[in-house]
Amino acid sequence: MRDARSYRIALVADCYVNPAPGQLDGLAVLAAAGWGVMQLPADDYPAEVAQQLLAGIAEQVEEFSRHGYTFVLVGERDGLAAALAQAGLAVPDRIAPASADELAGFLALRYRQDPAGGAGRGVTGSR
Amino acid sequence: MGVAFVAHCLLNQNSKVGDGAHCAGVYSPIVDVLRDKGWRIEQMPCPELAFAGLNRFWAVREQYDTAAFRRHCRRLAVAVAGAIAARVRQGEDVVLVGVEGSPSMGVTITSSDPERGGRPAWPDGSPELTSGEGIFVEELHSELDRRGIAFLVAGERHAIPGFEEADQRTRLESVLERGDA
Repeated sequence: MRDARSYRIALVADCYVNPAPGQLDGLAVLAAAGWGVMQLPADDYPAEVAQQLLAGIAEQVEEFSRHGYTFVLVGERDGLAAALAQAGLAVPDRIAPASADELAGFLALRYRQDPAGGAGRGVTGSR
Repeated sequence: MGVAFVAHCLLNQNSKVGDGAHCAGVYSPIVDVLRDKGWRIEQMPCPELAFAGLNRFWAVREQYDTAAFRRHCRRLAVAVAGAIAARVRQGEDVVLVGVEGSPSMGVTITSSDPERGGRPAWPDGSPELTSGEGIFVEELHSELDRRGIAFLVAGERHAIPGFEEADQRTRLESVLERGDA
């Protein structure tokens, strides 16, 4: 079986995964561009719940980062920087796109800067 | 309509065990059905990723059924149950969309082989598939029961013999529309 992973992951604010009518559908853009999505907690969650979810996300980002996967941040989420810092991680390059073209352009630029994704640095998967 | 809490890998195939990623990132056949039906999407954590890492082997339920993995799953399940509880308080229906055949994320089909262990060599095929929940789903189910929260379940079915995308879509639509398993 060929493993089809992209080695590229976007941390994505909830509003781009579940957009309000007329708002940017970030999930569709990321899916078309072949990026994996790690959804950040919705803004209306209780603080304790959001903090627990963010800690779990940071734990997973840490494992991906150890294997050289590429990350970006789409949108923002209170508490993310602190959760990442707890895992010894910095906030990745960020965009708060207003349009699908803006997001697609940002992702394409990241692709040109790092066309191999995690290949050669990580040790995961067969290609 | 309601909120679908989906297995992590359905939005991020990079989390799959090696050789297990069906596509680059977002697994659209499930996501598209949920969106077509007007369900909100919320992503659960991958319980295997942070615990066993990206270089983990394919495994059956018994290999993950350790005290340490269950503690890890319970910690994650408390967080997810808190999120589910918040949505239930808003009056939303909830469906868990897992991964059938998974030792941790199966919702009606998991994998079992009490003898598996040691040097990793076993024949291809599906003799390990068995009815039941994966370990994370079991822990989440327990936590939701403790909170008195009811939910529906559906699963991504790539690992099930005879998999057809149209059948998977029909099953998911049935759950979303009528609450059928």
